[in-house]
Amino acid sequence: MDILYLLIPLSVVLVLLILLGLWWAVHRGQFENVEQEGERILRDG
Amino acid sequence: MSKILAPAPDMRPGDPYPAKGADAPDGSADEVLLDDPQEWPSFGRECSVLEGRDRYPGAWESNVVIEGMHCAACALTIEEALCRVPGVQRADVSAATQRARVVWQPDHTRPSVWMQALRQAGYRALPALDAQARDQRQREHRQALWRWLVAGFCMMQVMMYAWPAYVAAPGDLSMEMERLLRWASWVISLPVVLFACGPFFSSALRDIRLRRISMDLPVALGMFITFVVSSIGTFDPEGVFGHEVYFDSLTMFVFFLLTGRWLETRLRDRTAGALEAVLNRLPPSVLRRTDGGDFERVAVRRLQVGDVVRVLPGEAFAADGQVTEGRTLADEALLTGESTPVQRGPGSKVVAGSFNLQSPVLVQVEGLGEDTRFAQIVALMESAATQKPRLAQLADRIARPFLVLVLLAAALAAAWWWPTDPAHALMVAVAVLIVTCPCALSLATPVAMLSAAGALARSGVLVRNLQALESLSQVDTVVFDKTGTLTRDSMTVQAIEPTQVGQEMQVLGMAAAMAAQSLHPVSRALVQAAQQRGVAGQWVVRDLQELPGLGLQALVQQADGTGPAWLLRLGSARHAGLTSPEGGGLLDGSGSVWLALIDDAGQSHEWARFVLAEDLRAHSSAAVAGLRQAGMGVYLLSGDRADAVARLAASVGITEWRAECAPADKLAAMRALQAQGRRVAMVGDGLNDGPVLAAAHASFAFGRAVPLAQARADFVVPGDDLGQVVRTIALAQQAVKVVRQNLWWAAAYNAASVPLAIAGYMPAWLAGLGMALSSLLVILNAARLSVIPSAPLPQASDHVSAPRGQAASA
Repeated sequence: MDILYLLIPLSVVLVLLILLGLWWAVHRGQFENVEQEGERILRDG
Repeated sequence: MSKILAPAPDMRPGDPYPAKGADAPDGSADEVLLDDPQEWPSFGRECSVLEGRDRYPGAWESNVVIEGMHCAACALTIEEALCRVPGVQRADVSAATQRARVVWQPDHTRPSVWMQALRQAGYRALPALDAQARDQRQREHRQALWRWLVAGFCMMQVMMYAWPAYVAAPGDLSMEMERLLRWASWVISLPVVLFACGPFFSSALRDIRLRRISMDLPVALGMFITFVVSSIGTFDPEGVFGHEVYFDSLTMFVFFLLTGRWLETRLRDRTAGALEAVLNRLPPSVLRRTDGGDFERVAVRRLQVGDVVRVLPGEAFAADGQVTEGRTLADEALLTGESTPVQRGPGSKVVAGSFNLQSPVLVQVEGLGEDTRFAQIVALMESAATQKPRLAQLADRIARPFLVLVLLAAALAAAWWWPTDPAHALMVAVAVLIVTCPCALSLATPVAMLSAAGALARSGVLVRNLQALESLSQVDTVVFDKTGTLTRDSMTVQAIEPTQVGQEMQVLGMAAAMAAQSLHPVSRALVQAAQQRGVAGQWVVRDLQELPGLGLQALVQQADGTGPAWLLRLGSARHAGLTSPEGGGLLDGSGSVWLALIDDAGQSHEWARFVLAEDLRAHSSAAVAGLRQAGMGVYLLSGDRADAVARLAASVGITEWRAECAPADKLAAMRALQAQGRRVAMVGDGLNDGPVLAAAHASFAFGRAVPLAQARADFVVPGDDLGQVVRTIALAQQAVKVVRQNLWWAAAYNAASVPLAIAGYMPAWLAGLGMALSSLLVILNAARLSVIPSAPLPQASDHVSAPRGQAASA
């Protein structure tokens, strides 16, 4: 179970990284118009 | 609606697109005007003020509203069309808001150029004059969403670290492992406390500075003490405060509170969206008469009282004013709720925001900007969007002394226990602070109101005023307006009575061909009827004359050119040259128009009579029956003639009605009902019953007059279904019941748990759990409201069945 001493700090780092990703997503406006990107696939050409 | 103008950049020498103030022949005149750099800040900004990724040196960013968008595919077409224009660097079109953001280089293009490209693609762009306010709101929205995500995500993670401590038997976890988990929780809680809790702390600090107490103060205090105690527990487990940590309670608490706030902002934004649609109604520019008598195109905000402007058909009036020359029909539906176009001749007043339908007129400006009724209505809408429900205010009022008591109790408990055991003393105080749930108390009302409002919005009822849900739940009387409420704004052809049997289709085709040139509701009804029966387009019309208020006259011939051309008249009996017992206006008591042939001698011969009826709204009678079943009194107040009102009242099943009421009479009738102790809900169509809507305990507005009707009514129904009134009342009653339950629950929970905590029987983890559960229960209870009870409406016929008077056709 000693591996937990590595994994738990690692999970903390991972959480902070994911938060960074969320920050990027929110401030790029990815949650502002959630349908449009899905509809883009329907465009011709 | 004044706009803050940034200083305009100087025009560069050798500018390839000098601004033109002249009037262009087609509708692009407005766009040419927008090439004036002074206009740019009003609907956009220079990109150098933008930061980061969006930086385009020297470019301008403009926000426009797109007209003519129907679907999401349009958004892509528009983006492509814009990006093909040289000099346009970027175009983002949002299908949901029908807006586009265009980044363009002033050196290479001008707004009129890319607007022209849009026009060729089949759309029309209008500058979005509210861009700054929108930007501001978007920033706030992102920030709130971001705080909420931080709190939510960290809460989940902290829970994971807390879980081993929940389930482990004593001795299962080694000392080091426990410390490691606490450390991890502390790190993950940091962003929550430092960032997500920001609004609570700053608002609590403000309250302290202003020496007042609000919900945020104990919340912030609880957060702060919990965090401090937990931090000390983390770093100094042997210290005076012991080794318990409460990061799980803390993050959950924050997450729930932020969820409530976020929902609240979302609702506010939705109402603000309706506001923008109204703000963009005024035209950006007008044709002003110069001293020389010519007309020049100028921006609306350069207008002054006393200016004379020419308003073309299809344009909106930009200011309140008086017609000096010309005669036209004005569509004031948005302002008055009266959908029938009104006659406007020399001397009559026109209002800003209404549309000129028929012919060019000269208007002398009398009121501008803030002085117009239009602006006053917009201001009214703005203030309505920021109200707080009365029950929520009540909860806040109760909460205040309650919070003082809680703080006192926590302090007293700590003081009482301190001499025996400081660690235990602080634990007890924290338990008191955590276990008391101002969160449940303050969420109780808004959460229930918001989920009710959300459910209503999904089913097509917009709630303008949350407080009205409470008043609506107590309503025992419903008063209907007639025109535009029980009936649609339009009319339908009820019967066609030709003088020679079998000619129905022929006479309808002729009448519709003539009527196609006119905007009168009767004409529209005839055209619609012809289209439904497939007889449109079989006749051609020449030399059409419209005599306002009387009817039409024209030469009518078969479309293939064969057969004689007949001189026909369509309109009132008097206009058609027929003697009629009723005479009078276009539509007499029987609601008919005549078609007559005028022979060479000027004699008229009746060909047909068209009986028109007001179009009854869907489920009118079912709604009335439903209200009666719920034990409510139903009244009908109308400004219309007595016979028409009586007929309509009979057909929908209303026994108590009053006809020929001016708005003041309606108000008096409503006051009389209220004086009898009745709680009255008014169902109207817009602003012409504004005072009545305002005086009612709760009010509904129906119909197409929506954005402005919203100003006065608590509930707005853009759809057609009167049954919504019944369902909304049922849901309002349900919502208030849920609010009561929530408040009782919160009160009972606190009454039970606070003494336990003070006595020291409540460990902090149990306090945290109790707090979270009590909030969760409140939210879940409110979530029951998001499903609208689909109360079946009693079946009833929705057609006007009353017979029409037959005497006139004899």
